Amino acid sequence: MAENFEKHSDISAADLARLNQEAQAEATPSTAKIIWNEFKADKPAMAALFIIVGFIAFVMIGALFINTPKMMETNIMDYFDKPFTTDFWLGADSGGRSVAKQLIVGSRNSIGIAIGLTVISSTVGICWGLISGYFGGYIDWGMQRVYDFTMMLPMLMMIIVLVTIIPHYNAVSLTLIFSLFYWEGTSRLIRSRTLAETQKDYVAASKTSGTSNWKIIFQGIMPNISSLIIIDTTLSFAENIGVETGLSYLGFGLPTQTPSLGTMIANANDPTNITLYWWTWLPAALEIIVLCLSISYIGQVLRRAADASQRQGAAD
Amino acid sequence: MSLIEIKDLKVHYPIRSGFWNRITDSVKAVDGITFNIEAGETYGLVGESGSGKSTTGKSVVGLEKVTSGSILYNGKDITKRDNRRKLDYNRDVQMIFQDSLSSLNPRKRIEDIIAEPLRNFEHLSKDDEKLRVLQLLNIVGLDADALYKYPHQFSGGQRQRIGVARAVATNPKLIIADEPVSALDLSVQAQVLNFMKKIQREFGISYLFISHDLGVVRHMCNNIAIMNRGRLVEIGTREDIYNHPLHIYTKRLLAAIPETNVNQRVAHRASRLAVEKIYEEQQDKYYDENGMAYPLVQVSPTHSVALPETIAKQLASQEGEVQA
Ligand SMILES: Nc1ncnc2c1ncn2[C@@H]1O[C@H](COP(=O)(O)OP(=O)(O)OP(=O)(O)O)[C@@H](O)[C@H]1O
Ligand SMILES: [Mg+2]
Repeated sequence: MAENFEKHSDISAADLARLNQEAQAEATPSTAKIIWNEFKADKPAMAALFIIVGFIAFVMIGALFINTPKMMETNIMDYFDKPFTTDFWLGADSGGRSVAKQLIVGSRNSIGIAIGLTVISSTVGICWGLISGYFGGYIDWGMQRVYDFTMMLPMLMMIIVLVTIIPHYNAVSLTLIFSLFYWEGTSRLIRSRTLAETQKDYVAASKTSGTSNWKIIFQGIMPNISSLIIIDTTLSFAENIGVETGLSYLGFGLPTQTPSLGTMIANANDPTNITLYWWTWLPAALEIIVLCLSISYIGQVLRRAADASQRQGAAD
Repeated sequence: MSLIEIKDLKVHYPIRSGFWNRITDSVKAVDGITFNIEAGETYGLVGESGSGKSTTGKSVVGLEKVTSGSILYNGKDITKRDNRRKLDYNRDVQMIFQDSLSSLNPRKRIEDIIAEPLRNFEHLSKDDEKLRVLQLLNIVGLDADALYKYPHQFSGGQRQRIGVARAVATNPKLIIADEPVSALDLSVQAQVLNFMKKIQREFGISYLFISHDLGVVRHMCNNIAIMNRGRLVEIGTREDIYNHPLHIYTKRLLAAIPETNVNQRVAHRASRLAVEKIYEEQQDKYYDENGMAYPLVQVSPTHSVALPETIAKQLASQEGEVQA
């Protein structure tokens, strides 16, 4: 057999090196490249991207310089101080605590939880969907019944119950509790795409080439649904910021001594705060609006990048 | 001993429904077929769309879960996953797929696509592997700069050659070619078929050549099986099938081959209509009360047809075949 192949070899090492370079130049643009081109073609989305990245970096770093327990101490002398002063850029709340500092630490907490929740729930959802869709049959059936079961649970009530019965919960345990319930949407979406993808002959070809199932799932199929994964993850991130905020607002999120966007918006529960002391809740509300709008802008760009027919970016 | 012996192979797809997902019915994609493939030959499997050809082919490479029956390779039943693994079965039996575009992973470079079976079965060094991939590209007539391209950068014909290169990579003994050229235009068809023949000569490969087109099969196959609704209706040599077809279904497929000679178009059309008429009128003679084909009976050492014994004999003598 070797001699059979020998008849056909006439390529030198130099040729190979040249080919390598040519190929690199000609190769189809990677997903990252396509997305970047799409951002360049859409100025508002580019601005949204910078706002998001800049803001997250700012609060993550800024929060390191703030001593949270000290900040949260009540200071009766500064009771509802007005904003735009040198001590209190955004004023102070009923405890005389700086709104600006709380906003930074609160954003860090809320965004941190949203990121943690997105990472955990998307990873679980993606794996669940891929495995369920790829193997099919009884595995799929079993996994879908688990999915149906968790869908049936009244999510909000379960979270409130868990938060109440767990004695010393903090940001980490809260993230884990949320994660129990937020993988489902992703898993359904990924499963339906995986079902379609698994029918394609390249999967059959990988099987007859002796590749293991796990390798086929994660190295063969997953890259082909990467655009879907990116879009879904971005949109869940926007949604997840709302999850923690909403619960904290209702009083079932983070403990009151831990500032978060939700606890700050909860200041608006008091009618006098709404009109008279607007600086206690308005900045947090505005921030959430800007964040969610920006992320949904970014989501739209990603969606366009995934669908070749809608692209606006230069195709080079 | 034959290379592959297929015995009473059945593949039924369950139709499930209800909350408990119980099997309520089944699609009989392949319903009891038996034939052998000899080493070095090209065996043709022909039938119209939906007759179960791809399902048969996929069962032979081990992609399909078989309902019953056996497929023997080296005396082992390879419908069992354990036996396939022990034999490194897919090193010896590979497949070329019907749809060349969907059979190549769009996110992988040609190099990785062709090297995939090599990486799993041969464990070559990096340089040897690259060299082998280049040799394979050369065999199927593609330039070395294909190496780093992606599947969508090629034409249909070129993609099918890449599929062929991947299938021959481990130097297999049998390749299932599932309508390898049906998606290509005529000139490219001839090209691809020709180098498939060339590879067969060089490497001594057997093909199970699946097609719906008896015109293409004529140029490729020594032995042919005709498949209809999951069953075989006629088996024979090329001579048997093309010159002495017995089953009406075979005659119909033959009549469907386009006539290229302009002068005979009218005659061809008339004979096709005649066959169609017989097919309409004599359904119950050629098929049993459920509309399924009868079991095969032998009318000569090489030729079998799915008809009741008496009718088969009668038709065979009309056709002037010598009874064995
Ligand atoms: N996974 C499946 N589940 C249910 N039914 C199936 C499945 N795969 C194939 N079938 C059915 O089995 C029958 C045979 O299909 P198969 O793909 O083998 O046909 P074919 O002869 O290759 O046709 P074509 O020439 O169109 O490729 C068809 O009726 C098809 O609907
Ligand atoms: Mg088919």
